[in-house]
Amino acid sequence: MTKTVVINENTHKGIIEFFKLLLKKEKVRGVFSLKKINKDGDIAYSLITDPDELNEAVPFYPLMPVNAGKLLSRFTLKGSSKKPVIAVLKPCELRGFVELLKRQQGSLENLYIVSFTCGGVYPSKLSLDGTIEKNMNSYWNEIKKGQIPNDLRPVCTSCTEFFPYTADFIVDLIDNKEMDKKLEIFLNSKKGEELTKDLDIKSLENKIDQQKLDKYLKKRETEKEKIFSEINKKLNGIDGLVDIFGRCIGCHGCSKVCPVCYCTLCEFDSANSEYEPSNYDSELKRRGGIRAPPGILYYHLGRMTHIGISCVACGSCEDVCPVDIPVAVIFKKVGESVQNMFDYVAGKDVEEEIPLVTFKQEEFVEIEE
Amino acid sequence: MKKDEDFLPKIIAFLCNWCSYAGADLAGTSRLKYPASILPIRVMCSSRVDPLFVLRAYLGGADGVLVAGCHPGDCHYQEGNYFTRRRFAMLKKVVEDVGLEADRLRLSWVSASEGQKYAKVAKEFTEKIKEMGENSAKNKIFL
Amino acid sequence: MIENKAAAITIKSSMKNTIIELLEKAINKEIFDAVIIPMETPAKDSFVYVLVKDKNLLKDSNPLPPVMFVQGAKAVSSITRLGEGNLKIAAILRPCEIRAAIELAKVGQTNLDNITLISMDCPGVLPYPDFLSDPKKYKKLFEEAVEKWDNKLMRPVCQICNHSSMVSGDIHFATLGINKDKMYLIPNSSKGKNLIEKLELPLKENIESWQKKVKEISEKRHGKRKKTHKDLKTKIGGIDNFVDTFSNCINCHNCMRVCPVCFCRLCYFDSDKVKHNSEDYLDRAETKGSLRFLPDTSLFHIGRMSHMSLSCVSCGSCEDACPMAIPVAQVFSMIADETQELFNYVSGRDLKEPIPLVAYKEEELRDMEDAHD
Repeated sequence: MTKTVVINENTHKGIIEFFKLLLKKEKVRGVFSLKKINKDGDIAYSLITDPDELNEAVPFYPLMPVNAGKLLSRFTLKGSSKKPVIAVLKPCELRGFVELLKRQQGSLENLYIVSFTCGGVYPSKLSLDGTIEKNMNSYWNEIKKGQIPNDLRPVCTSCTEFFPYTADFIVDLIDNKEMDKKLEIFLNSKKGEELTKDLDIKSLENKIDQQKLDKYLKKRETEKEKIFSEINKKLNGIDGLVDIFGRCIGCHGCSKVCPVCYCTLCEFDSANSEYEPSNYDSELKRRGGIRAPPGILYYHLGRMTHIGISCVACGSCEDVCPVDIPVAVIFKKVGESVQNMFDYVAGKDVEEEIPLVTFKQEEFVEIEE
Repeated sequence: MKKDEDFLPKIIAFLCNWCSYAGADLAGTSRLKYPASILPIRVMCSSRVDPLFVLRAYLGGADGVLVAGCHPGDCHYQEGNYFTRRRFAMLKKVVEDVGLEADRLRLSWVSASEGQKYAKVAKEFTEKIKEMGENSAKNKIFL
Repeated sequence: MIENKAAAITIKSSMKNTIIELLEKAINKEIFDAVIIPMETPAKDSFVYVLVKDKNLLKDSNPLPPVMFVQGAKAVSSITRLGEGNLKIAAILRPCEIRAAIELAKVGQTNLDNITLISMDCPGVLPYPDFLSDPKKYKKLFEEAVEKWDNKLMRPVCQICNHSSMVSGDIHFATLGINKDKMYLIPNSSKGKNLIEKLELPLKENIESWQKKVKEISEKRHGKRKKTHKDLKTKIGGIDNFVDTFSNCINCHNCMRVCPVCFCRLCYFDSDKVKHNSEDYLDRAETKGSLRFLPDTSLFHIGRMSHMSLSCVSCGSCEDACPMAIPVAQVFSMIADETQELFNYVSGRDLKEPIPLVAYKEEELRDMEDAHD
């Protein structure tokens, strides 16, 4: 059984009440959440300090303009805030943040995380013509029924890590028939319990319905098999890779928005990855012709070896790609595969070391032939 | 893809200074015969081998890439080859998962006294690569 | 332009094949060792620049592709940034790509010594998001648009482009205002004139009909451009409209990365200078009650304008790369016109013309200063 706090209000309104309470009682100095930032209803992450501004917050909105784990890393990179801040993250954003913490790219000090069992987000392009807003009712209807909504990011429909393991506060949205009447927040950590200790708010005890989540997990696993089998047909030797990545324009947007790609100067932008005239001479001798600038496959495969071990399959890379390459599905597949080798789930446990900076004395004997 | 007997594969071999490079030297001084397919590159430790080196070699058209180091537990720098092993396992998985030929990559432990083993690995790996044929990445323009 | 004469080339099958044959001839005569030219990808969903040495590969190339996935100046720069190398290279580029290459050469990011820059009359390029929705259909639409010289499907900045014919570079393939069965090769530099001599093509064609047609198109475009910019200024002018225009920006910086003249390896706006600590962010949030995170979107865009506006060639790569469909190129191109006009400068027009911010006159821009007493 876990302690919970309850507000008898529609979940989306209740969470705002909760945050207003925390701000007014000066338990936190700021709230980090998705928010409508203008009269057109454009939505972006915001750091909110005024309770009135919270009226425009939409913490559970099915949109991820940027991976918020990356934003929290930026927020805490140069030092934590002196007073607490509370942030709403989706499970993959939280896992992204945890992977960044393992690389000294942020801090959890004075930072409280609210997360939820996540039904997935829409590709950001769909926010441009109002599609997402139009789909809001049907989205939440599907979530309430424990179904997978249509038109989400492919990596969302196939996501099997939709439970926020390390959050301080968890709201269970999936298959939640009481969403319109009640907000129940599970206090998932001592930190969370401490924060809400003397708040004027109803407290209960409850259990997360694991069976219900397992049922949803099966649905997601079915989708995953489908998506992986589709991409596997295209991953067909070097020609398959050239077909998939051939139209890549080398913008490196995928790397820039990836939560785990934190390097200020990426290896593939550095002098190490530049070709000298003599390189071109030798490549031309051999091939007769070479794409300029070269190194598209080198970049993508290289990036896989760099961050595959920590990929949280959030899908930001595919969203930002200007030429619609299914980057996220491929990285999800490779990332999971690499993580499985070490029984590792990126971002599940902040104490667990990244597998490539540690070792066992006896392992992978089969690698040496 | 050339698969005929005239095909001499080009195999880039990253050999660690203290063990496998010395082992390769010993194979030479002992006049052990092995195919002229290996292009050795000496590194101080097998853990110096960045997966990016291997990728460059593979995409550059190398028919095979060999990484050789000290036996686990015997690394001159104590722990280097443990990391090599994990990194190489990860790299092979990536290459395999994207549909490329992971069998073109090989990790081997060869100590300074194992001239015979080095020659054996070189021979076996060359045979295997000959069977696989040329790496078609060699001729690709749109990489 | 070097002189008012051109060499005439008969078009036997298509303009594309004629250009390729000419390049093959030049390679055979060892005038060039290699060519940078667009080629269709094996998946047939894109065109990318390829440095070609084996002339047998040239038959798969396309000198006037319907899209510009990578700005050609970036392709040229990637080959010669670290030195001119041994190869004599011909680069087939759109006029704006040539201009960008020249701007990059001014700041040492490209070495053009061994490169012959070849342009042609440009109908514009299709926005590649449109192209990708149905490559086959759009390839056909592009060919029809080229036939009629109709640019309404092209990038918005292409539709109002007033530098779509010969601007700079070494040699120009002219097709406008000429009979469909031939085209002119116009030398635009001594390198270009040299090339025509080596190809043994007599320089005796009168180019008046081409000049006339180019002028006609240019004047029409000029009027349209002025009007479009005026309307755009009203639409995005003022802090509220400006913020609105960029309200969907997610700070991915794709625009900066695909821009040919944004060459900094580590952009100021990715550096430590824009990373602040949490107390600063919270203080800022408290001044208005909330702070969009990450903040400073407008600072990035206006800052980038102040960095590269004088070199902007209005190619439109930025707008195509934006995942949130923000009209980046239209805004940046408009501002670039104004800043360049201030110094009577046209980016990439002339390699010997310094970028205005590294040169000065002792008497100028007095109206910028406070009035003397």
